[in-house]
Amino acid sequence: MKVSRRTQAFWIAGAILIIAYAIIPVIWIISLSFKEGDDITNNQFFPTTWSWENYKTVFASDLFTTALRNSVGMSLIATTISVILATLAAYAISRLEFPGKRLVLGVALAITVFPVIAIATPLFDLWRNIGLYDTWLGLIIPYLSYSLPLAVYVLAAFFREIPWEMEQAAQVDGATAWQAFRRVIVPLATPGVFTAAILTFFAVWNDFVFGITLTSSEAARPVPAALAFFQGASQFSQPTAPIAAAAVVVTIPVVVLVLLFQRKIVAGLTNGAVKG
Amino acid sequence: MAAIEMRNIVKEYGDGFKAVNDISLSIADGEFMILVGPSGCGKSTLLRMIVGLEDITSGDMVIGGDRVNEKAPRDRNLSMVFQNYALYPHLTVFENIAFPLRLNKKVTEDEIRRRVKEAADMLELNEHLDRKPANLSGGQRQRVAMGRAIVRQVNAFLFDEPLSNLDAKLRGQMRTEISRMQRRMGTTTVYVTHDQTEAMTLGDRVAVLRRGLLQQVASPRELYEQPVNMFVAGFIGSPPMNFLPAVVSGNRLKLPFLEVDLPAIAADKVTDGQLLIAGIRPEHFEDARMLDAAKRERGAKFRAKVDVTEWLGDSQYAYIPFEANAEVTKQLADLAAELDSEALRTQLIVSIDAMSRLRENHEGEFWADTTRMHLFDPRTGTNLTRDEAAAADLATLEEEELRERMDTSSDPVTP
Repeated sequence: MKVSRRTQAFWIAGAILIIAYAIIPVIWIISLSFKEGDDITNNQFFPTTWSWENYKTVFASDLFTTALRNSVGMSLIATTISVILATLAAYAISRLEFPGKRLVLGVALAITVFPVIAIATPLFDLWRNIGLYDTWLGLIIPYLSYSLPLAVYVLAAFFREIPWEMEQAAQVDGATAWQAFRRVIVPLATPGVFTAAILTFFAVWNDFVFGITLTSSEAARPVPAALAFFQGASQFSQPTAPIAAAAVVVTIPVVVLVLLFQRKIVAGLTNGAVKG
Repeated sequence: MAAIEMRNIVKEYGDGFKAVNDISLSIADGEFMILVGPSGCGKSTLLRMIVGLEDITSGDMVIGGDRVNEKAPRDRNLSMVFQNYALYPHLTVFENIAFPLRLNKKVTEDEIRRRVKEAADMLELNEHLDRKPANLSGGQRQRVAMGRAIVRQVNAFLFDEPLSNLDAKLRGQMRTEISRMQRRMGTTTVYVTHDQTEAMTLGDRVAVLRRGLLQQVASPRELYEQPVNMFVAGFIGSPPMNFLPAVVSGNRLKLPFLEVDLPAIAADKVTDGQLLIAGIRPEHFEDARMLDAAKRERGAKFRAKVDVTEWLGDSQYAYIPFEANAEVTKQLADLAAELDSEALRTQLIVSIDAMSRLRENHEGEFWADTTRMHLFDPRTGTNLTRDEAAAADLATLEEEELRERMDTSSDPVTP
């Protein structure tokens, strides 16, 4: 199909507009993070002199580094558990007939739209009573309850795409149900597993509400919550620039993850399984 | 290797629909059995019940002397080639073929490599062993699927329309390849197809199914020459058998265009004035001018106007329209619908010598070999002229041939 010049120009203009809308705040944060001292009041977009000072401040602060450790640890644990459980659950949902199957999916969807803030206060009370308050586990559990349904949903869609014959072929070839699942279905669902893992990781990594309500110390506080407690170089200045630097630092792993697995997510691995 | 015995197999779905209805069929050790029929006749369902991917509602499935109704597919020791091949896309060709062996912990790595190599040699896949299925052509994928099936010592091979995704030329080649492989390995094979060329060329015996019911199980030759009913007669043969209205009149039979003696074998099964349906295959006609004198005596001559001719180089078909009464027309339309085709008009398709210069829209003189004509009861479809003695002879011949082949291939060729 040949696209006329005008429509092409229209598309390019539209694309630039959308990209600009999305990227200007990001560049603004990056620019802020490089402004040293009082330079943030310089009334211009870019810093007068580019400096690493804020990054040094951020990494020198215990608050940030322990929070970073908490965030990484909890995100990885929550993602791993969630993906493993979701893979099994999604397989059952897409392949087996059992009563209440629709209910399971419906409830899963309902949970994902349930407002997080509504359960934050009850959880706060409950966790304080049973001693889960301000612990990793105390955060991982609510993270799982929100990320698991999402992961199940994503993976169920992927499993449905895998032709039944794959599994039947494996069974005829002598595989048990578990072998067929592990040696054929899971490898074929890899793009789905990665997608689910990344979505879960993002959701957990970016969480603020649970992070701020269910923690009171550095023992379990994740980065987004910790940023709120950030103090600048002196008690009397707003730590805007260091917070910007910290925000940039926590964004980097997310960007790297997406770039790394972009292909994995997009690639349809079932290519060539059946007559294309 | 094992014999497969099915006794009164039924597959009934939740809504009461019987996809397979009371089928009993025994497949001898080493036999190549074809299941054939129009779409929806239950042939694939039956195959899937043999392999265990479909539950059996009632009846007994016996493989190699063991009742396997409740056994999981993996415990039946069968291998299957799926219609869409179902290759594992994340594995190389080597690993695809090795997959069934890898599931068995007892097979050593050396053994796996040797067996895969042998299978790949047989199927000429050696140069593709490191490639992924996505990078193979349709024919190559098909061969990989076969490699995966033959790499183990199994009781039987099952094929579910394996060639239907290939183009015509490749299909012909693979057909011979499958036949050669089966003859060489002597493994019991059940092969589902809707293509009658495959059915006729591959099978020792062919089972024709219709709406879940077994119509006839016989050698291809017997199906062609002594069909039990109109359905089998119409299904086997291409172009299909011509069906013409025929009225009994004394000891004569009146057909459109010609009148013949009533065949002796059917004489006491019909009454005077009864309407029958006569079946004559296109190849039992000829342009009267191109006829050998020797043949002339066996049949009858008639004149008719040709509507269209199709010249194919090696053969030629002429189409002769005729009028039939409403009852016969409806019968033929129903039959055609069931055979996945459409009867647009009542016409005679005759195969004539390719050298014949018969012209369209002109009258020509034709000859029909009326000794090979069949007569069917229009209501039940039963063949009134089936020669049981001739059929039995054909069956014996086929059995002898199979036994002979099994004896010569009894020194096992390891797959």
